[in-house]
Amino acid sequence: MSVEKKNRSDAGLAALPLVQEGIFTLPDATGAPPSLLGGHCAVCDRYSFPRETHCTRCLGQVDEATLGGRGTVYSLTVVCTKPPLGLPQPYSVGFIDLEACGLRVFCLLDPECIGDIWIGSPVRLAVRPLGHDDKGQPCLRPCFTLADTAGHDERGAP
Amino acid sequence: MTGVCVIGAGLLPFGRHEDSLLADMAIEAAFLAIRDAGIAPQAIEAGFFANVLGGLLFGDLTVGQSVFADLGITGGPVVNVENACASGSSAFTLAYNAIAAGEVESAIVLGAEKMCVPGLGLLNSGKNELETRLGLVTPASFGLRAQRHIHEFGTTLEQLALVSVKNRAHAAANPHALFRDPVTLDEVLNSPMIADPLTRYQCCPVADGAAALVLAGGKTAAAARRAINIDAAILCSGSYQTPVDLVRWETDRRGCELAYKKAGLGPDDLDLVECHDAFSIAEILHYEALGLCAEGDGGRLVAEGATRLGGRVPVNVSGGLIGRGHPLGATGVAQIVEIVTQLRGEAGARQVENARVGLAHCMGADRQGDARACTVAILSR
Repeated sequence: MSVEKKNRSDAGLAALPLVQEGIFTLPDATGAPPSLLGGHCAVCDRYSFPRETHCTRCLGQVDEATLGGRGTVYSLTVVCTKPPLGLPQPYSVGFIDLEACGLRVFCLLDPECIGDIWIGSPVRLAVRPLGHDDKGQPCLRPCFTLADTAGHDERGAP
Repeated sequence: MTGVCVIGAGLLPFGRHEDSLLADMAIEAAFLAIRDAGIAPQAIEAGFFANVLGGLLFGDLTVGQSVFADLGITGGPVVNVENACASGSSAFTLAYNAIAAGEVESAIVLGAEKMCVPGLGLLNSGKNELETRLGLVTPASFGLRAQRHIHEFGTTLEQLALVSVKNRAHAAANPHALFRDPVTLDEVLNSPMIADPLTRYQCCPVADGAAALVLAGGKTAAAARRAINIDAAILCSGSYQTPVDLVRWETDRRGCELAYKKAGLGPDDLDLVECHDAFSIAEILHYEALGLCAEGDGGRLVAEGATRLGGRVPVNVSGGLIGRGHPLGATGVAQIVEIVTQLRGEAGARQVENARVGLAHCMGADRQGDARACTVAILSR
């Protein structure tokens, strides 16, 4: 990733572990935005997040699939009490309707956007150092942040 | 032919039992239920023990066998049950099924929990679950439901808070409840925010507690003096549909409909309901799943007073989880103890007049915006 392409919140992302492997991609050197990773059964044309070990309908193979990073907020809440996992106080979580695959997924929302995101808000995926992992190490978590409503954010998302 | 009945019930007051071990509390509640049933412990052929946190917090494992042996119940099948908040009611369903299948003629159901310990923190659905790693704690899952219910149906913050005002008022009349002091609407709304829009008084408190029931069929039931009939006892799990609908709770509705169908009864037949009000919004959602009101009307139902003691269909006259407290493994059993007490006409200041049919409803744990367990029991006299 070139220095120019990094924005401040992405700085040093590569140095930190992911909260869990295989659930999201980091923004890459070409400026492609981060995306959630899930599963897809080609036979049933079903997506899953997180990726199923096998298709729960046909028991067939589930391939890794890029689920995209754009969506709309279905519901959200702000957790104000003492947070788990070293998350900020307060922090926010929600269900997001993903544009590309139609899944409704649970995820963190950007703690810096509390009060700006509401049901129906357009959001895009970001990756932030947020809290710590199972071993108590600071780690990267995916979170949805407010999308530029003009449709051309700084990372050139589709 | 006699069906499956509850012939004995026992309950410890919910609260802090700092000086008691989990097993001590369990034995005390079971003793009360066995004595109430008026049978010898040796006559009880099976035992189902519900507990959630004993292994995690105290290293207590397969407690059921220890407790039942100490009570003189040995040799028959004993099962330790963990289904999160619905553990006790799941154990009840297993006992019911064992008797209904004719495998045994009597069984004891015992739920106990000791959880008032420093640093317990917020409960989640397992530390290795992705949702937990992404910040899902139980109050948040209900905050999400509340926000969506407000968005779709115009439910107000006051309507949500009135669930707590009602249940705390009920708890004030229940000597077994954790909270004996009522709260005002302002106090509920102004208590600290936990998961927006749910304030502290809209979240059920932890408690220590234990509850027990003796069930019987056949000659044992026929000989019992104060038997209460079990018309249905169902257990189902989530369907984990995607996209999940957080306010038209498919698993909740499916569980309620299945119980109504098995009992041959409907919402209009109910004289009282104990439901899983872990959070204020949960009770409103259960009104709708139970068919006590139309979809989206749950907030208005509580506001018009239909679900308070003396209303059209009183809900959580025990105080519910919000007022009585929520010792996880004990709750589902305690709900049924309350229904039995009411149907026997022995509930004192909180007695529902001429109660003939009661329903107990419980749900447990989150997965993909759904519950992992849902139980519904219908009882009658």
